[in-house]
Amino acid sequence: MNPTETAAAQMVHKGPSHKRIRLITRVCWTSALLVVAVPFVFPFLWMVSSSLKSAAEIFGAPSLIPDRFLWSNFVEVFNYQPFARHYFNSIYISLSVTGLTLIIASLAGYALARMRFAGAGLIMLFLVSGLMVPEEVTIIPNFFLVRWLGLMDTHAPLILLPTFGSHGVMATFLMRQYFVALPKELEEAGTMDGLSRLGVWWKIALPMSRPALGAVAIITFLFSWNLFLEPLVFLSSLEKFTLPLSLANFTDAYGMPLWHLQLAATTLAVVPVLTIYVLAQRQIIESFALSGVKG
Amino acid sequence: MRPTMDTQQATTSDPRLPALEFQNVAKSFGAVNVIRGVDLQVREGEFVVFVGPSGCGKSTLLRMISGLEDVTSGTVSIGERVVNDVPPARRGVAMVFQSYALYPHLTVAQNMGFGLKVRKMPAREIESRVADASATLKLDALLDRFPRELSGGQRQRVAIGRAIVGNPRIFLFDEPLSNLDAELRVHMRAEIAQLHERLGNTMIYVTHDQIEAMTLADRIVVLRDGQIEQVGSPQELYLRPDNLFVAQFIGSPRMNVFDIDKLPPGVAAQLGVPEGAVKVGMRPEDLSIDPGGRGMPAVLRMSEYTGGNSLIHLELDGGAPCLIVHHGQTSPPEGTAVHLTLDKGAVHFFDANDTSIRKG
Repeated sequence: MNPTETAAAQMVHKGPSHKRIRLITRVCWTSALLVVAVPFVFPFLWMVSSSLKSAAEIFGAPSLIPDRFLWSNFVEVFNYQPFARHYFNSIYISLSVTGLTLIIASLAGYALARMRFAGAGLIMLFLVSGLMVPEEVTIIPNFFLVRWLGLMDTHAPLILLPTFGSHGVMATFLMRQYFVALPKELEEAGTMDGLSRLGVWWKIALPMSRPALGAVAIITFLFSWNLFLEPLVFLSSLEKFTLPLSLANFTDAYGMPLWHLQLAATTLAVVPVLTIYVLAQRQIIESFALSGVKG
Repeated sequence: MRPTMDTQQATTSDPRLPALEFQNVAKSFGAVNVIRGVDLQVREGEFVVFVGPSGCGKSTLLRMISGLEDVTSGTVSIGERVVNDVPPARRGVAMVFQSYALYPHLTVAQNMGFGLKVRKMPAREIESRVADASATLKLDALLDRFPRELSGGQRQRVAIGRAIVGNPRIFLFDEPLSNLDAELRVHMRAEIAQLHERLGNTMIYVTHDQIEAMTLADRIVVLRDGQIEQVGSPQELYLRPDNLFVAQFIGSPRMNVFDIDKLPPGVAAQLGVPEGAVKVGMRPEDLSIDPGGRGMPAVLRMSEYTGGNSLIHLELDGGAPCLIVHHGQTSPPEGTAVHLTLDKGAVHFFDANDTSIRKG
């Protein structure tokens, strides 16, 4: 056998063993990741399982599989309080916040990225510095502001505060970062084609920013959906509650949680969030990359 | 055909008026003066190339014609209209960008028809114009594709097509071939030349590649530091440069320039140096090795074989480096002492201010 044939034979021999090593590596990695995933997945499984158990069984039986599947918990959730109304409130508030944030953040982000005006840098610095202030610090001044505006026990502050508050700034910052990275020549081509500044934003910059818009939409929806402190401070009428408040409201006469109902309601509450997450995982990850060094 | 604003401009223009005129145009970015008093007239149907080194202001000048850049002072006129304050889309110009600037979310047909749609032209008219332009540019089969599905040359053609459909009075090209590979660049250069011949519109073309400038232009405008150094046909610039900068910028390889007082003894007398001349320029292609051993003495230092000829690097007596284009397949070995002869008519003299001195 000449040296070339020997090398070829070695390569043929090497093929399957190389494949086996890759397979073993893959199995090891997957197993390790499954172990790491347990602390994240277990609470979710526990929640779903508990939502189908009786109140006594939740802490009584350690098994994840209920003795009897109590689907009636899900019916009870709607009978106990106006849960459907709360669900609707959360949906329409989250969609309103998302829609408004997309419009304002993309307009403001575009202006900050592209328009030359006095103090643009200062405005950006001022806005971003606002992100450093924790929500707990601003809640009291916001409370006085909302009361002064006569908006207590309405949904308006739940829409206005996230839109114009720190979350809106974050969204504006994300959009600005994306717009800065768009090629200027495309917008100039739009100007040559007869578009106004607003036309360039609408017909060129926005369609090209779909990934950023998607990311901002997802983050904003989740933010608004999970908002707890603001509804707690500003809402008092039961029928105006949003889901996070509603979940905290599944209690007995002594204020103790009704676990089976609370967990059934929580399971229902995470459905939209999970759906969005599964449909747009890539964009959520991109959204974190967007706020990085790009631009 | 229903005349659009652009076509009206094109058809009502007075052919005696220049298609484009700069009058003492200046442009500053803050304290930096990018364009410093430019006067220029471009005739209707002319192909004018702005050429110059990086940062000379050629692209800024083009962008001032397009309206993408404001004019700090002076006036820019297109036909009979001063367009300083006219928005880009109403100037009757179309621009082909260096990066093509095709809208990635639109198909080829939508890209080409976009400007017409913005101007609210009827859909049927848009379709017909896009079809005409795509036939001219052989883009028919690509109309439904997105820019990302096209090659560099195809994208370039779409960018040109987008300019054509608006029927502009003036086409503006901003280094349109610089993103293409060498072979495609030569091909597209020929296509642009043919397009100009076919359409007959005024074209202003910016490039830093002087071969592109020489091959395409009716007239070349050489710029340096925001000022025009010389305007003329390629032949004029090559044969009669106004100054040392133009002489060295136009022509490849660069013109050799020697201080007259450092030339080998006797050479200056042979050249017949005019009064006031301090430098002499000789193009590498006008110099040759004299087989009879007459002319300027020099030593061969290096030879670069390029196929049809060789670039020979020499050192004149006195140490000045010199480059010549040597025709033929062989050249003398390194270290060989040779003599250079030149065509006397092809010698250029420059004064202390680097201005050309024309003899006789």
